[in-house]
Amino acid sequence: MFASRTATIARVVAGILSASLVGLFVLPLVALVAYTGWDGILSAAGNGGFRTALEFTLLASAIAVGLGLLTGVPLGYVLARYRFPGRSIVESLVLVPVVIPHLVVGIALLLLFAPGNPVGGWVASLGIPVFDGTWGVVLVMMYVGSSYVVLTSQLAFRSVDDDVLESARSLGATPSEAFLTVTLPSAARGILTGALLMWARGVSEVGGFIILAYAIYPSPPWNGPVTNPASVWILNYYSIDPSLAVGAAALLVLVALALFLAIRLVDRTGILTALRGWWS
Amino acid sequence: MVVVSGLVVEGLEVARGEFHLGPIRLDVPPASATALLGRSGAGKTTLLRTLAGFLPAQRGEVRLGDRSIGRLPPERRGFGFVPPNLGLFPHRRVRENVAYPLRLRGAPDAAAQTRVWIDRFHLGGLADRYPAELSSGQQQRVAMARALAAGPSALLWDEPLAALDVESRDVLLRLVRDLLVAEGLSLLLVTHDAATALALADRIVVLVEGRIRFDGPPEQLARAPLDRFIARFLGFENLLSLAEIETGSASGLAPDLRRAAGPGGVVIPPTALTWSRSGTNEGPAQVNALRWTPGGWVVVVQEGPWTFRVPAGPHPPTVRVGDPVTLSLDPTLLKPLSDLTDEEAA
Repeated sequence: MFASRTATIARVVAGILSASLVGLFVLPLVALVAYTGWDGILSAAGNGGFRTALEFTLLASAIAVGLGLLTGVPLGYVLARYRFPGRSIVESLVLVPVVIPHLVVGIALLLLFAPGNPVGGWVASLGIPVFDGTWGVVLVMMYVGSSYVVLTSQLAFRSVDDDVLESARSLGATPSEAFLTVTLPSAARGILTGALLMWARGVSEVGGFIILAYAIYPSPPWNGPVTNPASVWILNYYSIDPSLAVGAAALLVLVALALFLAIRLVDRTGILTALRGWWS
Repeated sequence: MVVVSGLVVEGLEVARGEFHLGPIRLDVPPASATALLGRSGAGKTTLLRTLAGFLPAQRGEVRLGDRSIGRLPPERRGFGFVPPNLGLFPHRRVRENVAYPLRLRGAPDAAAQTRVWIDRFHLGGLADRYPAELSSGQQQRVAMARALAAGPSALLWDEPLAALDVESRDVLLRLVRDLLVAEGLSLLLVTHDAATALALADRIVVLVEGRIRFDGPPEQLARAPLDRFIARFLGFENLLSLAEIETGSASGLAPDLRRAAGPGGVVIPPTALTWSRSGTNEGPAQVNALRWTPGGWVVVVQEGPWTFRVPAGPHPPTVRVGDPVTLSLDPTLLKPLSDLTDEEAA
């Protein structure tokens, strides 16, 4: 009797605590959308300056996530599958961007890529503008977000059973065929989650952009007008036109949610799974 | 005329840290099965994974048919390897799992062949499911169908039927047996299930601490079951170690047991024991329990510190629990046991 009453109380307390946290996640977003309403969101969507900032941010984040996948997935694979001296050091280094303040990230990147420095001078000689350019934004996004791709890829690759890979080999697959047809598809969901986290982290960044890439001047691949990353644009307008800034913030949230839901939907409907085994 | 020699292993040796496997000599002819027995850590899985190409051998020769395959990568060895966890692809449906080896080698009739293997293993109704949606037994059938679809020359199966119920297992055993004969395949399987080994295997190989201690037909092993592990595996229930024999030294059966015992003790086959209701006990024996089995009634008799299961025929025994009985022993039927682990250590 006593035990069952204690269990009931424990369940109620756990329920209240969990609901509080979920509420903390959701209620501010509800407040944001409720405050600005559809009119505010539509007004932000109709604002040419914000639309440009949003387009630029989507372009830069797509490049950053692409490069994050290109570099982070192999690193995640190596950390998951191979034992080598210094592996735990590399694992710790991967976590560094997650724990350091992002304003510091901007300063550190600026110091490294300042045109007067060897690295900055070399990058500038290649015609890649970092300071106040697209590649500065991409760099910051990669720095603050690639860790998520590495970590989720590592977990995903580690969860692929050795028996599964050995079966593929024994059934006639070369190591590269086994990787492409079994390892990578099996880890796809984890990798996709990492990409989504990286994208969200990059789009929400402010501190690093303010230092390294506050204003974005046209240079390939961005050929639009001078703009800011969307988050910086919202920060600027928060003191000039708060209503417009809040509408833009709500729109940014909707874009993020739409992307998140689209990926969940694709996963739920089995399209992703079908794609993973497409050639069968 | 091409002489097909099945799977032949000569002088294979594998070192893994402190553990040493071999030298192993094995011959699994076409259309036959060999069961690999041994305690945990005896080297069964190491042997299978080495043959499949996933562990390097220090020396030795592996031939499959007329090919020397010991230095080939796993994908070129021609084995249908089924690991203990089956290795099904979780992101592919049953149909796609079975089709995998056929698609890999670009078989023009991959879809038709896939259907054939799916039908043979009674997977038709499950073809569109993912492995996670199947029972353990169904997953095992998928793994077998997929291994056979690859068109192997020999099969290496590690505990292939562990999760099947008796009826499903018997159906599969018949199917596998027929396939071995029809396709001329050699099967080397690790199993802890006596029914599977005895129903499928033409030969049994016993591994003890990395070395082969027995290689012969099952009936030869049953005549001399080597040690307690093998005796238990074969279904012998009345086993006594030397120490256990001494704890019952007051029993009239003790001298015969002591004389027949080997270093690992003695097996008392059911046919070696008879019981009677005689009032004069040779030892202080009494009925502990009565059990019905498909093979007939069994009387569980307590003789001093020992408990024996004694067959009592097809009809309910006339004794009741607690009745005094007399046990008689035919010492010519007793089987001595070695202590393989101790011998190896010596």
